[in-house]
Amino acid sequence: MPSATLLGQSVLSGVFIGALYGLLGLGLSLSWGMLRQVNLAHFALAFLGAYVTFQLAAVAKVDPFVTLAITAPAFFALGMALHWFFLRFSVTLLNTLLVTFGITSIIEAGIQWYWTADFHRMENAYAAVRWKLGPLFLSLTDVVTLGFALALAVGTWAVLRFTDLGKAIRATTEDAPIAAAFGVNEKLLGYLVSGLAAAVAAVAGLCLALNHTLAPVQIYAWMGVVFAAVMMGGLGRPIGPLVAGIVIGVSEAITMAVTNPTWAPLVSFSLLIAILLLRPARFS
Amino acid sequence: MKIDRRRALAAGGAILSTLALPPFARAQGKPIRIGSTLPLTGPLASLAIIHKVTAEICVENLNKRGGLLGRPVEWVLRDDQSRPELTRTLYEQLITSDNVDLIQSPYATASILAAMGVAQRYNKVLLHTSFGIPKLAKYDMQFQTAGSPFDPENVWPNHIFDAAAKLPKPPKTIAIVTSKFPSVHAISVGAREVLKKRGLTEVLHLEYEFGNRDYGAIASRVKEANPDFLWGGTNGIDPVLMLEAMSKIDYRPPAQVHLFPAPGPMLKMPAAQGSLALTTFESHPPFTDDPAIAQFVKTYAERAGQAGIPYTAVDLQSAIMYAAWQVLEAAVTSTRSLDDKTLGAWLKKNEVKVLFGTLRWNGPQNYVEGADLYKVKQLQQGRWVVVHPTQWAAPGAKIT
Amino acid sequence: MRTALALGAIAIVLCAVPFVGLPAFYESFLYLLLSAIVLATSWNLLSGYSGYFSFGHGAFFGVGVYTTAALTGKLGWNFLWTLPLAALAAMVLGVALGAVVFRVRALRGELFALLTLAITFVLATIALNAVDGGPGIMVNADIPKLAPTASGVLYLLMLAAAALTLWTAYAMFHSRFGTGLFAIHDDEDVAEVMGVPTYRFKLAAFAISCALAGLAGGIHAIFVSYVTVAETFSIALAVNVVLMSALGGTRHWLGPAVGAVAITVLLYAFTSGQAAVIGRALTGLILIIVIVAMPAGILGQILKRFRTKTAPVRLPRSEESMQKAVRHSSEPILLVRGVAKAFKGIQALAGVDLEVRRGEILGLVGPNGSGKSTLINVVSGHYAVDGGSIRFEGEELVGKPAHRIARAGIARTYQIPRPFPQLTVLQNIALPPMFGQVVMDRASAEREAWRWLEFTNLADKAHRYPGELNLHQRKFLELARALASRPKLLFLDEVLSGLTPAEMDGALRLIRAIRDQGATIVFVEHVMRAVMELTDRVAVLTYGKAIAEGVPGEVMRHPDVVSAYLGAAHV
Repeated sequence: MPSATLLGQSVLSGVFIGALYGLLGLGLSLSWGMLRQVNLAHFALAFLGAYVTFQLAAVAKVDPFVTLAITAPAFFALGMALHWFFLRFSVTLLNTLLVTFGITSIIEAGIQWYWTADFHRMENAYAAVRWKLGPLFLSLTDVVTLGFALALAVGTWAVLRFTDLGKAIRATTEDAPIAAAFGVNEKLLGYLVSGLAAAVAAVAGLCLALNHTLAPVQIYAWMGVVFAAVMMGGLGRPIGPLVAGIVIGVSEAITMAVTNPTWAPLVSFSLLIAILLLRPARFS
Repeated sequence: MKIDRRRALAAGGAILSTLALPPFARAQGKPIRIGSTLPLTGPLASLAIIHKVTAEICVENLNKRGGLLGRPVEWVLRDDQSRPELTRTLYEQLITSDNVDLIQSPYATASILAAMGVAQRYNKVLLHTSFGIPKLAKYDMQFQTAGSPFDPENVWPNHIFDAAAKLPKPPKTIAIVTSKFPSVHAISVGAREVLKKRGLTEVLHLEYEFGNRDYGAIASRVKEANPDFLWGGTNGIDPVLMLEAMSKIDYRPPAQVHLFPAPGPMLKMPAAQGSLALTTFESHPPFTDDPAIAQFVKTYAERAGQAGIPYTAVDLQSAIMYAAWQVLEAAVTSTRSLDDKTLGAWLKKNEVKVLFGTLRWNGPQNYVEGADLYKVKQLQQGRWVVVHPTQWAAPGAKIT
Repeated sequence: MRTALALGAIAIVLCAVPFVGLPAFYESFLYLLLSAIVLATSWNLLSGYSGYFSFGHGAFFGVGVYTTAALTGKLGWNFLWTLPLAALAAMVLGVALGAVVFRVRALRGELFALLTLAITFVLATIALNAVDGGPGIMVNADIPKLAPTASGVLYLLMLAAAALTLWTAYAMFHSRFGTGLFAIHDDEDVAEVMGVPTYRFKLAAFAISCALAGLAGGIHAIFVSYVTVAETFSIALAVNVVLMSALGGTRHWLGPAVGAVAITVLLYAFTSGQAAVIGRALTGLILIIVIVAMPAGILGQILKRFRTKTAPVRLPRSEESMQKAVRHSSEPILLVRGVAKAFKGIQALAGVDLEVRRGEILGLVGPNGSGKSTLINVVSGHYAVDGGSIRFEGEELVGKPAHRIARAGIARTYQIPRPFPQLTVLQNIALPPMFGQVVMDRASAEREAWRWLEFTNLADKAHRYPGELNLHQRKFLELARALASRPKLLFLDEVLSGLTPAEMDGALRLIRAIRDQGATIVFVEHVMRAVMELTDRVAVLTYGKAIAEGVPGEVMRHPDVVSAYLGAAHV
């Protein structure tokens, strides 16, 4: 029977990886739920952000967190550009999948062309910083990731729930023509949401660079589990992917702590299936 | 002893002529076309680029020396996108449509098996570099250039534990953490048997799925098991991820081995220092005593840098590809033939000296049982150096 | 006849490929094409036709791969025998999953996608740990000498699989099965009410889709001769089949095949060593350009351009005898007793008692929110009741699925018209006859549909889509659709609202004509003039209860009814 420390540390580890799933899923969920665009390229964008962060930090010796000041606005613009493209060509939901797959290929090829397919690891001083909470360890980069994930998820939720802007966005999502009749500018809001989703990808990219070793193939490695977290958490619900991601992460971590780690995906995804079948109403 | 001036001059001239580019030994005539695929895109692309740069240098050097049989060599390379079904199709294209004279190795077990099937159907010799499970290589004319024994699951763990026994504190308790990636998994299974026979104790056995992202629980379990030695049945970036997870909980294994790590990412990690790994070749003497090899190491470092590869030292991956071309050249030159049957027969009866030892194919399934050209290297102060066996160790390097 | 000959010729040419002496590479490449065709087309059978997006096609493919790998690679069976087993294993799994998943009403759209995605991970882990163990499985099969080369044999096998798949897709597309699936795609609830057995159809489509994927997987195991879990259960396949189908066009049986060929050729075109990375980028760019230029998919777009509007077939007015009903009868065709229905605390129906007599036009009136539409919904099976009994021609309807109720002879229109948006007007009307009381085949159903198109004056709009119709026309479309199944009992839910007085007169004439042809009609309406003119009897609902039932003149003067509409009387 594993010790309490082992379980606790494992659960923490699961929470942190779940936070990264949630962070990656936030942008995807927003554009899928609110704009009816399945943005597969979100992952490629996040990794592009990670690589840019790496480049700026490793070569230009910029502090990784400061790189956000560059990547976030740049990606915001990219997100708006993507939305413009979808509007200009009236791309349907199914076709957004195709278009963003194409964009993913292009970004992946670009990353591979510039940085090669080989592994890149961002050396940074933050990686060594950690704190102790009783018998448990917390590393700075993990806590930062969780912090970002929570702040962005809860912040987005709060904006949607309590501000006029948020209400306008929700109204447009439900019924655009009627909302327009009440003076809501659907186009502007669309750009805003799209830009925001992409900016969140930049943040996710920073967290990826801080915590992981990068390779272009990783773009696809995260797709499955993040998609699952997004669909599980409910499209357009900012906190959903975070919660779902943490559920996945923690259930896998506990499995790995208690039994042979190779069974982890079986447990987490069976749990997902069970939840879906037993309480589907929650996720409509 | 008096040095005979004439002899010295002759010797000097001989040395000079091997180093200088002979302008009149230019290859002429119809090119000999050698075809292969590599996963230039897809999940395995990170290794492919090393093989590609190496092979390009080999072919260049071959042509500078006059090509093969006096004819220039042309390398026809295709991208199999890390998909074995494409590898199969592309090798069929190379053989039946592009009509290449000879074929060379793709990368990794699954693709090599796909190519092997094609080679078998067309009676082509297949030299291969990176096959992880020797017992599956059943084709008569396949020849490995990696120096792997026929029973790596037995030989390599013994090798590694031999090296570990030389540590300042020889380990008694072992934690086995292995991915379920086919080749490393088989070695780890073997390790569990070997350590028993050596009187060591296994205190933990964990298997994880290849592609796992979260090593927190695994790290905690290793820490709790408190082994003397961590056996990492890992490859690629798994070792880095695992060690990072361990650093986060303030744990560092007293000693460890990681079978086939990507060498670059580990270099600067404090937690990785002292880790052992398997290799065939490292860029230091005695490997680089041969001037041609030293030259190759230099050229590779330049080309790799130009290509943007982060780790520019020649090691295992580059070496096995270099050896593949050495073997091909030796076989063709010795038999003066491009006929696969002739080449195959020659290879079975002969040996070829390559940059990390002498390759032979006279054992079961063209492997050599028990024999092994692999060495154990250690990460010492940001550099990988061979430490075992001692005849291949870097000058002055001891296992620490 | 001509098409049969053409098909035969193509078949002969395709089968002859391995014997023509081409380099084996062509056979392998064609194998890759055919494999992609099988996978994309089989995926589309459920996901494209019915709209239930599966992200788990890789799982069922993987089941097929591992079945053959385990049986041939580990147990040494002749691989040909393993192929039907591979298909069967995948199918059984699909049916097991579908049987549970399709029953749950709330599980639509993204949730089905999620479930199928999750299943991939689950199966991958099970395969890795229980079947494979880690080292992968070597599949050395004795390939029978059906063709000069091994590649040729595999090509022929996959050709057979592709032929089977395409034929299945074609047959489904042109059958009532396919029409039902397309209806489910557009509006599953309405399809069910129109008589489409949605659960059975979805399950069947899923089973077929999985079986074909499993078959392709079994053959694939032989092609690569060494299988590993990571390779087989990747998400790449799941995404690729979606891309191929969307690129070609999901609404046509041949669409996915077109997309499969396009993407496979594109990926293969860039396998040259020098162009690999840039080839990836170019592939992505081409994909974007194509889908932006052809939003309906390559085939979809081509078909749109060249679709010739088939001329309306002017059929002679059929003299088929319809049920000649007795004008009035006191015998009840529908008996509603104590029916209750609540929605999260709102009691929409609080014990309704109602009697509908054969051959009459019964008006159903009441203030807004009184439960009229809900009553229609429960009788037609759109909602399940909480309690009570509904007997139609003596048979109890409560507990029966909606499509059985439609089969029994009950039809209804929707207050806000709910036509199937991606079916033409003709196809919309032709649907109920295929699934209603008298189950007709496609051709007969379309003839029947023409009759009702003329009856409702929509004949010139037959090949338009509902979105192109105005409200009046859409209401008549609803009407025609409800009539097309020759119902015994027809519920009209506020058919007249939004019509101009002139249009209304036409509608009233129509309704009388319908009754004269033998149907019993329950007529929910707010327009009092219509109610008074048209109905034989009237029932009044308030707050979920029927408070009066009888001849219009009397009922409307009943004090309870008056106060229900106008409130308490001021003296």
